[in-house]
Amino acid sequence: MKNRRIMPNSKGAAPLDVVIAVMAFLAALALGASLIAQHAADSWSAGLSGKITVQILPASTGAARDGLAAETEAALAVLRGTPGIVRATPLTEAEQLKLVQPWLGAEALVAELPLPQLIDADIAPGSVLDMDALARHLKSAAPHAVLDDHSHWINRLRDLAQTLVWSAYGVLFLIAVATASIVAFATRAGLDAHNDMVSLLHQMGAQAGFIARVFEGHYFRAALTAAGAGAATAAAIFLAAGGLQSVGYEAVPFLPPLSVKPIELLWMLAVPAAASLIALVTARVSVLAALRQIH
Amino acid sequence: MVRFENVGMRYGAGPEVLRDVTFVLESGSFTFLTGLSGAGKTTLLKLISVAEPPSRGLITLFGHDLATAKRSTLPGLRRRIGVVFQDFRLLDHLSAFDNVALPLRIAGRKESEYARDVEELLVWVGLGDRMNAIPPTLSGGEQQRVAIARAVVAKPDLLVADEPTGNVDPEIGARLIRLFAELNRLGTTVLIATHDRALVESTRAREMRLVDGRLVELRMSRP
Repeated sequence: MKNRRIMPNSKGAAPLDVVIAVMAFLAALALGASLIAQHAADSWSAGLSGKITVQILPASTGAARDGLAAETEAALAVLRGTPGIVRATPLTEAEQLKLVQPWLGAEALVAELPLPQLIDADIAPGSVLDMDALARHLKSAAPHAVLDDHSHWINRLRDLAQTLVWSAYGVLFLIAVATASIVAFATRAGLDAHNDMVSLLHQMGAQAGFIARVFEGHYFRAALTAAGAGAATAAAIFLAAGGLQSVGYEAVPFLPPLSVKPIELLWMLAVPAAASLIALVTARVSVLAALRQIH
Repeated sequence: MVRFENVGMRYGAGPEVLRDVTFVLESGSFTFLTGLSGAGKTTLLKLISVAEPPSRGLITLFGHDLATAKRSTLPGLRRRIGVVFQDFRLLDHLSAFDNVALPLRIAGRKESEYARDVEELLVWVGLGDRMNAIPPTLSGGEQQRVAIARAVVAKPDLLVADEPTGNVDPEIGARLIRLFAELNRLGTTVLIATHDRALVESTRAREMRLVDGRLVELRMSRP
């Protein structure tokens, strides 16, 4: 029956809504990117830490296959005799071909390539191995053995993922600053556009806080709605990406999935919550500053 | 209630529109402020309603010297004053009901407390069937009555009205003056700016006349 809102909704609000929706969309993408980067770091760490790989390089001449098999057995013996190693298994030929398939394809010719023999070994949780000593033992038992404990790659990938995560946080911060600036500008414009209303409320004895609440409520609702739409769009994109991967489409075969778990999409709710809070505080500060200029 | 001592007012570097204005409005008084267009009536009402600070002189309102009063006390003083603006200053997107209720919302009262009072007042000013209409759909006279209802709804200690009967027919004008008189009888101090001589002559109220920004006391209230 009655209009409860003192400030009308229509005056010049649409452009602000669009800008906040776009900002929220970008913020949600950045947030999703940080989650994906964190997944990548966790995935790489979980997949590679606690594991070592031994390569037995094929001899360039002679009875390569026999030598490779003998060195593999010798290396396996060393690994299985090392305290802290709970499992050591050579990869089958099929498994090795599958590993090179993304780069070299599945042509028959690939099978003819002199591939090294790989041995996967698991380290017992909590065990610390002396990798240098193990490498020496392996070298003495199998001269063509090369030990890879993945620490170099794990550290580099972890650093890369952390850089991506912090970059995403930086983008989020910049978007928050930009959103606050836009709302401050819009609030000033709103004060000008609604100058008659502000001066009337002021004249009727409204406290500065009352007038500020009129504006902050308006911009809070506008930001909540617009940012909700922007974040929902981003969430839909992440869901679609997840759906594509679940049916077998891989964006980049050797990277972790570029999607966010459905439960993690709840983090997207933080975007409209933060945007509306930023809008509320910015509008309040802007209005109170402007009202101090009035008699 | 209201005391002006040697008050002067100029806008920017312009000429003084009020000069050495001195008067007192006693509590519970009913006063007309008359004068030609441009004599300074609206400016004087702005000073009384704490809408503008004077360029010079001393204004005392409800016992507060406005020159030294803390800024935080001004909203409270303004809430004790009902103002009928010459141009009504209604909020176009709010219904007549919500426009009238605005001072009560500002005072922090709940709708459940004031809804009945607002509706009764709107009925009294002849707008019982226009409560949900927004100002652009109301005639000038109807808008004026909404503005008057808004000024009196909080039962202010001081009511200042700028040409409150300018857009209404004589019958409604007389009804509105009776409303002001009733408020005055209940203790509200009333100051009405008008150039309607018939209106002034129809009452026994005190008349102050502004001539070229100077105040001339024409008539004390008659018994």
